[in-house]
Amino acid sequence: MFEFFEHTADLGLRARAESLNDLFAEGAKALFAAILIQPEEIQPLEETQFHLEEADPACLFRDWLALLLTHFEADKKVFTRFQVFVQSSTLRATARGEMFDAARHGRNHEVKAITYHGLLLTQADGQWLAEVIVDI
Amino acid sequence: MAKQAFQGRLERVDSTCWKIPKSYKKGMLVDGLVFASQKLIEQSRQDQALEQVANVACLPGIVGASLAMPDIHWGYGFCIGGVCATDPREGGVISPGGVGYDINCGVRLVRTELNFPEVQPRLRQLVEELFKKIPAGVGQSGKFHFQAREMNRLLGEGPSFLTERGWATQADIDHTEAQGYMAGADPSRVSDQAQKRGKDQCGTLGSGNHFLEIQVVDTILDPQAAHVMGLFQNQVCLMIHSGSRGLGYQVCEDALGSLRKAPEKYGIELPDRQLACAPADSPEGRAYLAAMQSAAHFAWCNRQLLMHQAREVFASILGQTWESLGMRLIYDVCHNIAKLEEHQVEGKRKKVWVHRKGATRAFPPGHPEIPQVYQEIGQPVIIPGDMGRASWILVGQQGSMERSFGTTCHGAGRLLSRTAAVEKAKGRRIDRELESLGIVARAQSWKGLAEEQPDAYKDVDEVVGVVEEAKLSKRVARLRPIGVIKG
Repeated sequence: MFEFFEHTADLGLRARAESLNDLFAEGAKALFAAILIQPEEIQPLEETQFHLEEADPACLFRDWLALLLTHFEADKKVFTRFQVFVQSSTLRATARGEMFDAARHGRNHEVKAITYHGLLLTQADGQWLAEVIVDI
Repeated sequence: MAKQAFQGRLERVDSTCWKIPKSYKKGMLVDGLVFASQKLIEQSRQDQALEQVANVACLPGIVGASLAMPDIHWGYGFCIGGVCATDPREGGVISPGGVGYDINCGVRLVRTELNFPEVQPRLRQLVEELFKKIPAGVGQSGKFHFQAREMNRLLGEGPSFLTERGWATQADIDHTEAQGYMAGADPSRVSDQAQKRGKDQCGTLGSGNHFLEIQVVDTILDPQAAHVMGLFQNQVCLMIHSGSRGLGYQVCEDALGSLRKAPEKYGIELPDRQLACAPADSPEGRAYLAAMQSAAHFAWCNRQLLMHQAREVFASILGQTWESLGMRLIYDVCHNIAKLEEHQVEGKRKKVWVHRKGATRAFPPGHPEIPQVYQEIGQPVIIPGDMGRASWILVGQQGSMERSFGTTCHGAGRLLSRTAAVEKAKGRRIDRELESLGIVARAQSWKGLAEEQPDAYKDVDEVVGVVEEAKLSKRVARLRPIGVIKG
């Protein structure tokens, strides 16, 4: 699950999951919910593979969202189904989605960037939690 | 990170200045100094903006103080309204977080020869046509397309490149901060991804707090300075607020990625990862500066092309050329930038990197870097307020050189988060509320107007009152909005 939290000028994304892999998938869903009005309208038509290396798990989480944002901004791709495998400092992921359609998906916030400010990734009581603040 | 109030030490220096002593936090190299009234400092205590002032005081090579303007609010890394100068000869750093993602976000003010009563009957038509012709809103593409070679020149040369196409005049360039040119720009340092994100966005407004407004001069406090700028009572003006769009965001993102290992490499301890930095004279620092200055050129071109399109709309609706309508650029200021400037530091003249993150250069009369025409009055400073109340034009004062590295505020400053603003607007029609104030507003969405409603901002009149009392800049004229285009 994910939710938004308040930040004076920007917007916070908070994801929770029972596994680290699911946490990354929830974070991705939170990002597209911030960008689009109707993320549930994304059709899982095409598959895209992602690969990242980063030793710090919180930075890896941020980099993952930043990579998705760049795909959206530069290639106009939106994604809905995420299968993420995080092992040590390596992320491999598959996401299914399609080309952005303004009429169908609607634009919500213009997310300029995924910041490092207040970046958090932690595990407590059997649950994973991540927080990032996005610049809007 | 939840919103928490600042519990730290704050000492009153004088009626407009507050100090966070460097003893407040381990690692602070200088004091924090915040320009604010009692009311504004109380508002600033409600979140972590003041903690961010203290964090910036930890940056290597910082000189003077870590400063914040009265429109201070919580940002990421630096607070919005933050100013910091670093000395490159003393290992001073350059920090992309001190510039922000929207590199060279800024404002320009365009005058006209028109009185409000002349425009009033055509106001709705003007607003509708501006809304139709000027690409606004998230991810919107523009009509200007540049081939790779042209984009290279745009990024390397800035808006003077646009004069060849007839989209800018020499007078426009002369009335742009730094003449729209930064000598260290190197387009080869702008990544392919950044160029891809910005390729069809030059000449587009964007979203969030970016806007184009038709305004009316409703108060003149300095008639001489107003006369020099060509301003008069009841005059219609045009204000444009935008930045470097996706290209600038990606330049900052790329730089933060490449600086991730820099603190370890250069032995820098940071209280917040978003403050990532490197010595300005290091390979990493130089690479960022070259890309940042190219993005600054893109932003100036963006605002120039927005103005060009607005001039065309005015000309077509009012049936005269923009030249005969007197649509001259008064000035264009950056409020997210880092610049190498000469300042007096501890009794010595030094070249320092002045980071302005939501803060505006405000050079006083006689400063060699301001246009000849403004030599006697000081550099024009444009302060957008909110879309229901007012904006201001100020001029820089000598106090800014003595107290704030030639800097003043940049706007009203946010008071409510976007979420809180939307909550407050539930069940309301902000456009109709504005209409009852005589303001025609068009936005891509209800939510856009809700987030930017006047109540979401501090009172700009109070903010500019503080910078005047602190002698950083002086009020010239107040402008009230009559037509608003929001992304």
